[in-house]
Amino acid sequence: MNNKPKIGVYVCHCGINIAKTVDVEAVSEFASRLPNVKVARNYSYMCSDPGQLLIREDIKNEGLNRVVVASCSPRMHEMTFRKTLAETGLNPYYLEMANIREHCSWVHEDREEATEKAKKLVFSAVAKARLLEPLYENEVEVEPATLVIGGGIAGIQAALDIADAGFKVYLVEKTPSVGGRMSQLDKTFPTLDCSACILTPKMVDVASHPNIELLAYSEVEEISGYVGNFEVKVRKKARYVDVNKCTGCGVCSEECRLAGRIPSEFNAGMGNRAAIYLPFPQAVPAKYTIDPERCLMLTRGKCGKGPKCEAACAAGAIDFNQKDEIVECKVGAIIVATGFDVFDAAKKPEYGYNDYDNVITALELERLVSASGPTGGNIVLGKGEDAFVPQEVAFISCVGSRDKSVGNEYCSRVCCMYTAKLAHLVKEKLPEANVRVYYMDVRAFGKGFEEFYDRVRREGVRYIRGNPSEIFKRGDKLVIKAEDTLRSTPIEDEVDLVVLAVGLEPRRDARQIIDLLRLSQSADRFYLEAHPKLAPVNTATDGVFLAGCSQGPKDIPDTVAQAKGAASSALVLLSSGKVKIGAQISFVNEATCRGCGYCVEICPYGAIELVTVNRMGNMVQVARVNEALCKGCGACSAGCLSGSIQQKSFMDRQILPQIAVLGGVK
Amino acid sequence: MVDLEKLKNVAKDTVSREDVKYLIGWRQGTYGFRVSPLFMTEPEDADKLIFSPLCVNNLATYLTLAEKLPVPRGAEPDTRKVALMVKGCDSRAVVQQLIEKGIERESVLVIGCPCQGVLDLEKVEEKFPGIHSPVDVQWGDDKFIINLPDGPQEVPREELLAKKCLNCRYPNPVMSDVMLWEEVEAWGNGEYADVKELEEKDSQARWSFWQDKFESCIRCYACRNACPMCYCEDCVLDRLNPQWIYRSNNISENTVFHLARAFHLVGRCIECGECERVCPMGLPLMTLNRKLVKEVRDKYDFEPGLDPESKPFQSSYRPDDQEDFIL
Repeated sequence: MNNKPKIGVYVCHCGINIAKTVDVEAVSEFASRLPNVKVARNYSYMCSDPGQLLIREDIKNEGLNRVVVASCSPRMHEMTFRKTLAETGLNPYYLEMANIREHCSWVHEDREEATEKAKKLVFSAVAKARLLEPLYENEVEVEPATLVIGGGIAGIQAALDIADAGFKVYLVEKTPSVGGRMSQLDKTFPTLDCSACILTPKMVDVASHPNIELLAYSEVEEISGYVGNFEVKVRKKARYVDVNKCTGCGVCSEECRLAGRIPSEFNAGMGNRAAIYLPFPQAVPAKYTIDPERCLMLTRGKCGKGPKCEAACAAGAIDFNQKDEIVECKVGAIIVATGFDVFDAAKKPEYGYNDYDNVITALELERLVSASGPTGGNIVLGKGEDAFVPQEVAFISCVGSRDKSVGNEYCSRVCCMYTAKLAHLVKEKLPEANVRVYYMDVRAFGKGFEEFYDRVRREGVRYIRGNPSEIFKRGDKLVIKAEDTLRSTPIEDEVDLVVLAVGLEPRRDARQIIDLLRLSQSADRFYLEAHPKLAPVNTATDGVFLAGCSQGPKDIPDTVAQAKGAASSALVLLSSGKVKIGAQISFVNEATCRGCGYCVEICPYGAIELVTVNRMGNMVQVARVNEALCKGCGACSAGCLSGSIQQKSFMDRQILPQIAVLGGVK
Repeated sequence: MVDLEKLKNVAKDTVSREDVKYLIGWRQGTYGFRVSPLFMTEPEDADKLIFSPLCVNNLATYLTLAEKLPVPRGAEPDTRKVALMVKGCDSRAVVQQLIEKGIERESVLVIGCPCQGVLDLEKVEEKFPGIHSPVDVQWGDDKFIINLPDGPQEVPREELLAKKCLNCRYPNPVMSDVMLWEEVEAWGNGEYADVKELEEKDSQARWSFWQDKFESCIRCYACRNACPMCYCEDCVLDRLNPQWIYRSNNISENTVFHLARAFHLVGRCIECGECERVCPMGLPLMTLNRKLVKEVRDKYDFEPGLDPESKPFQSSYRPDDQEDFIL
């Protein structure tokens, strides 16, 4: 093939998106006079079928061997037009796009100036198009297994879907039991299903599914490799209980010297547990675990005259010599479903969470109203003689959400509805109680939400618009100082119990997973998806998907839907069995590379390593790119002092002429 | 204090070792105050070695400058060590080369020479002009003892100290295999008067200052070739495709050359001052480099060439790095 560039330039109107601000006629006329340009046309929608046909016909009839499309961002349609080229047999990487929409028509008003800029952008693209080279994509095999990190409802659902489709799943859960936050909830809004009743069957399924290997009380320690071929090391923490022997009878826990003296994580600190414990009755696996930070035997090396749990265990399951174990697995895809932490109410000192016992968080109330909670579902505060049943109950919404002062600008999406649900449950259990909710707005956007909110108000829950400014104590009562902003009247409200509707926050250990998988965070510090609308479960790392609240606050239906989305995305990879790796990747000129290793440090994907090569009898180190890991970000190329590492399609000699024409140099 | 006997003995022992290829040190030059490098392969050459205020040049440049010759088929590559005499500043070049994997630790044997500051050759030649026979110079207490042909002269240290030494914080080698004598006390505080003076001018004045300097550059590339940190086998500024700078000697290309070189030295320049010393046109190149050294130190609390285990500045990142200069 004669490789003298014959370029076709196609200027898109994008309806009026471009044509309104840019004189597309003038731009295509200008382009037709540029060097090496054979044809230049403009058309209403280049991405439409007739638009693409225009390109294909010209390639056939005019013998074009380079195509420049001046339209939207390549993020939108680069793939579309690459396919167009490929259909004619032309290498798809002979395409160059000029972004005259996002970079031009959408950001300018002056038609004349915008047109001039569009011309320059097209000229620049033509300058580069002349120097394009054909590139070829490679394929790698996909390991037919998935790692799911996090055993909450998101992780459980994703694991079950993938396992049901016939692929192996490694489900890693940090705590001793799967179930996550959902297991701590009593009822779920707006239908008031019992949370545990709908969750526990799935927990049991996860444990018994032949395709799922449940690694509870384990943490992912190391992940290497790339899409389709991840190598994972999981640390199975020592439970100090032989899970094969433990029958889950619970005698050990009753006998433990610390029984009832350690705040229970599951009960959000409202109840206590022993040093050897089952987090909650329905825990899966139903095996006891010794808390290594509390157990006297493990912290001090002695426990009275001998550990009572060991003496009590008829099965002989206690083993203080147990060691952590490293499990290695190979997977093709990874789903991150690590969930959230609730906002630390102590960061809003005006609400007195640390000062007053009767100011509690919603999660704590959740445990109080739950039948499996420390009070058996009775709303009783305090202990022994101080115990009392609150009559005046107030909820405060948006604690730690929509609040710049604590750094959380976002809405946590669940608090309005769980507040309504908890208000309903309080009314149900204490019909005489007066319940009111202090709110900014009520956001009841989901299916059945508005109806539920209406129902709760009909049940006598008062909604007062206004954020309390302060809570203080007067005698036995708590006083809420607020302003009813609908009536513009100040309020001093005496209550027995204040419930803070705390928001959702990224997990405090979110950094761990970021470091393992090189994920990004959005401004709200949750994990960042690849595209908020069109790739909501993908991440910038191929083969790694997000599910549940690790990506942003969600209620249970949304979490399950997203988990199913993530599972389906993983299944696309697994069932096709092969994955294409990009062609626009970095490559090293080993003859000039001096092996300094800057690129190795710079690469955010760990795609470059130093290898020893024989350079005329001398053994020297040079950089080498793992093509499957390289994402073509170009950071290495920018960091290389000797210009020895370059990115295909973005080589210095391709970019410089492009810049030169922008600066007016011909 | 300088112990020449010890230096010579160590040098003899070193070059006698089987795993040492040669030793690079200083010797008296052929005229005046000049010294030249001595590539010593035989023990008897030890008598030529000197260490005095004349030993201005940074010999670490020769580590990376040495060409790796093709190895004939069947032969083994020569992996013997190169022994190198270093002052404090020179040792930082070695460390920085190690950080950048320009050399390997096992391929170099560092002989540390704690240094009390070297001479500014221009000043000393100006003070004692027209001296052709080799001159010996020694350190005295706060003075240089200059043994001119017509008898010794004593000059206060401040008067003739090289610019790079005026504010030196690392007179002692930061890394060495052998330390020849006792370490000296550092006297510098790391403040750069020349940079400060320039920073106080407005941007127009600074621009014309540098334009004036770059105008006179003859692009001989001596600065690049003497620099111990400039050792790419194929310099990006020499390439033709793409051609980052044109060959023509004009103010535009000269400016690009010097700015590109300065930016390639960010977080790498160890302030040995070789570029400025070798410049035949007297360009204050170290002022440019020191400005960037200062920026890196102030903004990122980073100094190159101190810890061979540290990560290169340009490829290290901390989440709390300052980035307020990004628009």
